[in-house]
Amino acid sequence: MKRWTADWPFLGLVGLLVVVALAMALFAGTPFGLSRYLANAIGQLAAFAVLALSLDLIWGYLGILSLGHGLFFAVGGYVVAMYLLKHSFVVTGTVPDFLQFMGWKDFPFYWAGFDFFPYALLAAVVVTLLIAGVFGYVSFRSRVSGVYFAIITQALVYVAMLLMFRNDTGFGGNNGMTGFTVMFGWPMGTSGMITGLAVASLVVLAGVLVGCRWLVGSRFGALMLATRDDETRLRTLGYETLRLKLTVWCLSAVIAMIAGMLYVPQVGIINPRLLSPELSLEIAVWVAIGGRGHLVGAVIGALLVNAVKFWLSSAAPDVWPFILSGLIVLVVLVFPNGLIDLARLKLVRPMGPKRIAAEVGEAR
Amino acid sequence: MAMTALLVDGLSVRFGSFQAIDDLSLAIDYGEVRAVIGPNGAGKTTLLDVISGITRPKQGRVLFDGAHEIVGRSEAAIARAGIRRKFQKPSVFEGLSVRQHIAIGADVGFRSRLDTPALEDRVGEVLETVRLADKADALAGALSHGQKQWLEIGMVLASEPKVLMLDEPVAGLTDEETERTASLVRALKRPDRAIVVVEHDMDFVERIADRVTVLHEGRTLFEGSMDRVRADPAVVEVYLGR
Amino acid sequence: MSFWRLPILLSCLLLLASGAQAAPLDRAALVADLCGDAGQMGQAGTALLDVAANGSAEDRAWAAPLAGAVLARGLACDEESAVLAEAGLDALTRAPREPGDKARKPLASLKNRSVFQLADAALALRSASAVGAREAALKTLERKPSQIPDGLLEAAAASETDAGLREQIDALAQTAALNASDPAARIRALASIAENPSRRALTKVSALTSDPAYASNDDFRRAVDAASARIERGIAIGDALATLYNGLSFASILFMAAIGLAIIFGLMGVINLAQGELIMIGAYVTWLVQQGLRYAAPSLLDWYLVLAIPAAFLVTAAIGIAIEVSLLRHLYRRPLMSLLATWAVSLFLINLVRVVFGTQNLQFETPFYVSGGVPVIGDFIFTWNRMFAIAFAIVTLTLTWLVVRKTPLGLNIRAVTQNRDMAACIGIPTRRVDMMAFGLGSGLAGLAGLALSPIYSVNPQMGQNFIIDSFMVVVLGGVGTIAGTVVAALGIGQINVLIEPLWGAVAAKVIVLLMIIAFLQWRPEGLFAVKGRRK
Repeated sequence: MKRWTADWPFLGLVGLLVVVALAMALFAGTPFGLSRYLANAIGQLAAFAVLALSLDLIWGYLGILSLGHGLFFAVGGYVVAMYLLKHSFVVTGTVPDFLQFMGWKDFPFYWAGFDFFPYALLAAVVVTLLIAGVFGYVSFRSRVSGVYFAIITQALVYVAMLLMFRNDTGFGGNNGMTGFTVMFGWPMGTSGMITGLAVASLVVLAGVLVGCRWLVGSRFGALMLATRDDETRLRTLGYETLRLKLTVWCLSAVIAMIAGMLYVPQVGIINPRLLSPELSLEIAVWVAIGGRGHLVGAVIGALLVNAVKFWLSSAAPDVWPFILSGLIVLVVLVFPNGLIDLARLKLVRPMGPKRIAAEVGEAR
Repeated sequence: MAMTALLVDGLSVRFGSFQAIDDLSLAIDYGEVRAVIGPNGAGKTTLLDVISGITRPKQGRVLFDGAHEIVGRSEAAIARAGIRRKFQKPSVFEGLSVRQHIAIGADVGFRSRLDTPALEDRVGEVLETVRLADKADALAGALSHGQKQWLEIGMVLASEPKVLMLDEPVAGLTDEETERTASLVRALKRPDRAIVVVEHDMDFVERIADRVTVLHEGRTLFEGSMDRVRADPAVVEVYLGR
Repeated sequence: MSFWRLPILLSCLLLLASGAQAAPLDRAALVADLCGDAGQMGQAGTALLDVAANGSAEDRAWAAPLAGAVLARGLACDEESAVLAEAGLDALTRAPREPGDKARKPLASLKNRSVFQLADAALALRSASAVGAREAALKTLERKPSQIPDGLLEAAAASETDAGLREQIDALAQTAALNASDPAARIRALASIAENPSRRALTKVSALTSDPAYASNDDFRRAVDAASARIERGIAIGDALATLYNGLSFASILFMAAIGLAIIFGLMGVINLAQGELIMIGAYVTWLVQQGLRYAAPSLLDWYLVLAIPAAFLVTAAIGIAIEVSLLRHLYRRPLMSLLATWAVSLFLINLVRVVFGTQNLQFETPFYVSGGVPVIGDFIFTWNRMFAIAFAIVTLTLTWLVVRKTPLGLNIRAVTQNRDMAACIGIPTRRVDMMAFGLGSGLAGLAGLALSPIYSVNPQMGQNFIIDSFMVVVLGGVGTIAGTVVAALGIGQINVLIEPLWGAVAAKVIVLLMIIAFLQWRPEGLFAVKGRRK
């Protein structure tokens, strides 16, 4: 791995994110500022890019494909939604729809304290680590990997979706939760709040990107690649790969959770469809399209795919699934390392895909 | 110091209905180079798998350093105790550089840096030994088959193991590479180290081995010097008779 | 409580009395009573009831229109006797004639009305020629089980030709007997009702615990308790059998969905995420065959489920082969990429079907061989649609086993599954084997779609409902073993169905997933995996 000072795509992307965030912050409210729609879209894209980074960390660098990362995304989303509803209730007295729908007088007991953001954040981290820790420990301990792991994570997120579709769980059921009015004491939906959330998302994205870059460039990162390439070999060199995998898996889950916390206030709603296996598969597609095993690729993949999706979902919603499946086939067959292949073929190294495949190695 | 490095006692391994190792007992001393030979399916690789903790035996014990039971301990714990092994199929990390391999092999830990001066020295030393110094920054995926074999040997010997197990170290190598591997193995021989080599190349075995164990259908068929192995009618029967 | 019983008891006694003195029917007196005052009309109604129960065939045929005529105010009384106004026949002689000038059409009092309704229904049950009319009459009688005259239902059951209706009559006879006045008859009825336990029977019997006789008559109480215990036992057995049976049919579908997955996974290490959509395509092909038959050969419409078998298999097998040749072949040894590629196919197929056919559920004909069922015990009905799926799965299992064990293709599949490189070395065309096996696995998914079309709803999304369970079957069963797939499908199918009624479908899925994860701690390679050393 190149030293970070020589990693131009990485430096360029971080620089771009910081510049965009700064510009948005500075020009907010002036005639040069972005429209609310555009600012909101950028914020959502940034949240998706964080989510893509979380998956790239374990798939690209550890060779573990999770088809259930939407689960952690949703944990973050649900917790922040609980905070927003409770907070809005405390400030404005708005009773959430789902309580009225269920005919409940008061919030269920486990909602206690969620109007206090640090507590909500702590709860989100604890729940994420608990789910990821227990599931990761039992899976990695019994050496479940590859396709098996992918399938079981998919079942996990599917089961979580069924669970959240129930109305009696106290998390909004199939209608989900919406009607957030106040965040940190300020009203939501104003351009100031929209810009603030988008800038925060961009800053978090840049921070997560830098953090991940630092991690994969470290000795630990080298050991992650070694685990991906030949786990038994690494174990028989004296490394407890279980601990390594569990650490990265939990870290990845927490990053996905953060992405969810950024995403939900910006879309203003959460429902169990966030837990559908399709969304979790789509995350893998963003990473595959961007180029797994490349942090910059994952970010660009998530931004590009979702930008096209945003645009098409208003222009021609029926066409999107066909385009997505076409994109997947194209990436899988022609550009196995995603956009990175494209960039290298055209711009940097005219040596053909064999060299690149040899360099990057196939994650099993 | 002819102390026992590895004592294999009453070992049995089954895969389904196939008895890979059948009540095998074996002692390997410090300071010796032991070759384990035998026809395909004799249980050679399975024996190494049990010692390195990859396969759990149905019954039997493996004592390391005369006292420590290693059956049931994790691969990583066994490796950290000082037992290192090169696999039959060259197993390297395609996405890492040659230097990183040696550094990973030399130092067991998640946190320490890979470029501290002491580690650098050790890595340079090992790279010289396995003649990969000029490839130090190449990715392992770009190496030739022979270079991968040597890289893996370098990776396992970087930690100064007490027991070094080499599974077919010269398979697929040229004569010249085989020759160099043989002198490397002899050079690695030390009084406080036991070296176990599984190999089919009899000339190679003859050059490196102090003693030879012939396995057949999961049992010891013969144990002794290479000359006596070649003369033993039972061994000849197993190798040539069928 | 007993206020309303008194008139019933009285009328029962009255009926018993009139039944006992049943002599040749005095038709003239009856007609006269019909035209009489309220009391006389009541007697006439009771007499008509008695005719329905005990009268001769001619008397019944003669009496049949009378009660209905009174109710509809279609009986015109004049000096001579009376006339059935609508038919224009004399009520007594049935000779055609018009009613006299001063004809009066008597109106039945509210109390008498119910007697006449009962009599009309009783007569219709005995002598109406259409099954539908007799069934409607029975429905009327069911509302007043305690007023049905003794012997009516037994006689009606004896002469009933329609088997279904006869069962209903018997059931009503039991109810009537339970509410009879004679405790001995009631106890006999209890014993006979306990012969066929069901929830309805339990409701009837447990209602008797509030009957005065339950408190006052020890024998009766014991009989009620014994009967309800016996019925409860029967219901429990029936419920257990029903659960097993439903689990078995669910397991059959799971097996058919999973066997293809398991073969492909064992062979190529690829999980086909589009397997659910191949199931869906199989169901759609079945529907298309049905529609085709509707226009081309309506006489064969009932057999569409059978005729669609080759079509469903071949179409899905062709799609499978196309997927293998165009996509998976190029992703050799990259199973995670294959996963994404097959998901792309799944996305494509769902949306293609959605665009072409719409999102609504398809309507399927229900041929006679998958409709109805045989009630066994309790509320357990051995339904033919589920039996169809089970039988289909057994045939599929047998054929798959034969293909894998006894054909050259199966031999090749097993060889490549065990050691691809070695198989290639001895000249097995591994790519061709991959292709054929993928076709086989996909075709089996298509058959699963056919088999489940009589049970589950068919729409573009349906594949998603089965796919995760089928994955779990493969994970649990282990790589590429038919036995593992069968056992895992049975296990997951049964556990799902067992847990569902206790804690709901969601809990069933949660528990199944947790059990599989726990199971993998014990055997990470699945149930029937072949162990070997690291390759």
